[in-house]
Amino acid sequence: MKTLLMTGVLLALSGAGAVKVGVLLPLSGGGSVSGQAAKNGYQLALDEINRAGGVLGKPLELEFADDGSAPAKAVPEFVKLVTVEKVDFMAGGVSSATSIAISGPAKQYGTFMAWIGAAAVPVEDAFADHPYFFHYHPWSYYNFEAILGYFKYLKTYKKAKNIAIAYEDGPFGSAGIDATVDAFRKAGFNVVLTEKFKTGSGNFGPLVSKAKAAKPDILYWVGYDTDALPLATEIRQQNLQLGLLYGTPPSWPVGFEKNKLADNVAGLSLWLSSSPNKDSRTFVAAYRKKYGTVTDEYFAPLAYVNLKTLAAAINAAGTTDKAKVAAEMAKTNVSTPFGQLTFSPSLKTKYQGFKAGNWLHFQYLGDARVPVFPIKFAQKPMVYGK
Amino acid sequence: MDLFAQTLVNGLLQSGLYALVASGLALAVGVVGIVNFAHGEYLMIGAFLAWAGSALLGVDPLLSLPVIAVAVYGVGALTYRVSIRHVLLAPELNQMLLTFGLGILLQNLALMLLGGNTRTVSTPYQASSLQLGELSVGGPKALAFGLAAALLGALYFTLYRTTLGRQMRAVAQNRRGAQLIGIDVDRVYLIAFSVSCALAAVAGVLVSVLLFASPTVGLVFALKAFAIIVMAGLGNLTGVLWASALLGVSEALVQTYVPGGGGWSDAVFFLMIFGTLVLRSYRGAR
Repeated sequence: MKTLLMTGVLLALSGAGAVKVGVLLPLSGGGSVSGQAAKNGYQLALDEINRAGGVLGKPLELEFADDGSAPAKAVPEFVKLVTVEKVDFMAGGVSSATSIAISGPAKQYGTFMAWIGAAAVPVEDAFADHPYFFHYHPWSYYNFEAILGYFKYLKTYKKAKNIAIAYEDGPFGSAGIDATVDAFRKAGFNVVLTEKFKTGSGNFGPLVSKAKAAKPDILYWVGYDTDALPLATEIRQQNLQLGLLYGTPPSWPVGFEKNKLADNVAGLSLWLSSSPNKDSRTFVAAYRKKYGTVTDEYFAPLAYVNLKTLAAAINAAGTTDKAKVAAEMAKTNVSTPFGQLTFSPSLKTKYQGFKAGNWLHFQYLGDARVPVFPIKFAQKPMVYGK
Repeated sequence: MDLFAQTLVNGLLQSGLYALVASGLALAVGVVGIVNFAHGEYLMIGAFLAWAGSALLGVDPLLSLPVIAVAVYGVGALTYRVSIRHVLLAPELNQMLLTFGLGILLQNLALMLLGGNTRTVSTPYQASSLQLGELSVGGPKALAFGLAAALLGALYFTLYRTTLGRQMRAVAQNRRGAQLIGIDVDRVYLIAFSVSCALAAVAGVLVSVLLFASPTVGLVFALKAFAIIVMAGLGNLTGVLWASALLGVSEALVQTYVPGGGGWSDAVFFLMIFGTLVLRSYRGAR
């Protein structure tokens, strides 16, 4: 009995003063594919950090909370983590809408935010004056810069000139659509069609008929995973001849790669499990060992890198003092599965991690996502349909 | 001209899917008067079962369709026994609140058990189409249209040519009167509600082939199904097909010819409900 009591006291004492990191993720709802992938990445990093001695001499603790992919749920969960669980740092964050919603409380409590997702420019505006906001994911203009770079390559080498744009009519698809059209035009493309659709409706017949009449070389689609298969099906049924169908959903449907209709569909990813990068290979091996499988969702390694760099900064600072940890985080210069990570100013925030140069363009080829651009990372030649 | 003809074809093909979803709801709401706001969730169950059969057992969704229909008939019967029968005599608002709650419960159960991921099935005929000159007629959607017409025909036959159908109509007209002449009212409600759920699941199987399976897949279709039965008139089964065609073609025309029409497609069915109700009340006033 005494031994049990002593063990309990020792365990309680060892937990006292441990560094706590709150992790807010969409573990349910529309963003749950990315959220679940991120959770796996965090748990893998946590194991490694604690095996290596933890943080400030104690095991690091994570407190997960589900934002339900909804701003209305994200705010109370965030406030609970900060005020009830009294976490020292906040990590996570996938959706832009939920990140905007918590920007008020984050500034009110001066919360240290090591944020992995939320690419929309309004998030950058919301956190522009926050002194402890470290953003890992490229902002949407970096995404678009990468897409434009790829399309310019297709213009030069594949004679792609005409672009049709299909975008969902919510904030994700519609924000900045005029700027997108302008940028394509400035780059010398003909934007032959700009068409809205309702995400999840699966009703792409009229859109594809109009695209067929406009004869585009590239159909650039901005929507969600629910739209991937219905759009690909309709394109095949109506025999729309394209050079490339290119999409940028936050995640792709489960099992889409095994469907013949996915063949040659192209998209954007920060990372793929087939990346030859040494850190990526190490991550994939560790992930496979822990979970018995491999993921192609880049939020898994992004979360992994996020927690590892945060833990390293706290250890380097030797304290949980936000200003000191921020100063150490700002010095981050590590190789990661995505390439080198450093923090530098973006257009509006002080600490931006990955930028345009980190994106990979892939195609679904032979039941897998295969990097096809930039050419130096291509594992197979891209398939262009014209 | 080609674009116009293709637009009409697109609208008609889409209407097949709408009619398929609406056929079950027409039976529940229009014939026996059970306002089932969880109809879309039975569609979702059908879509997930088709996905599971395909992904885990390698069974083609169309082959598993009869089994899924029977399984969801069972789920519907259980739902009726456990919940619906207890509110049949209560004001209709209770029924609506109950089925609304059931819908939320089923959606969240799916979220908890399967996550929010979108799941797709892969079949060799998924993108099949018939080319008529420049026109393209999608195979699975044409199948949905044919299936909807056949099911509505079968429902019509059952309602007007069989004893069970007569009993259903009798119960819908006057529950107490039906009881007085010896009809087992509880059994009739049970069968009608369960068949309605099974029909939703049949639509779900087609939805899984054409679109995807996810916890929220039924919502959009259930809303449109309500619009269709309002347009067709409660209890009017043949009208369901025409109302679906009208909705599908109107949506396609708006999407193709109205600038930014893709964003207006959801407004079309609200406008059609509005127009129908105003027209009916105008006629009633005369």
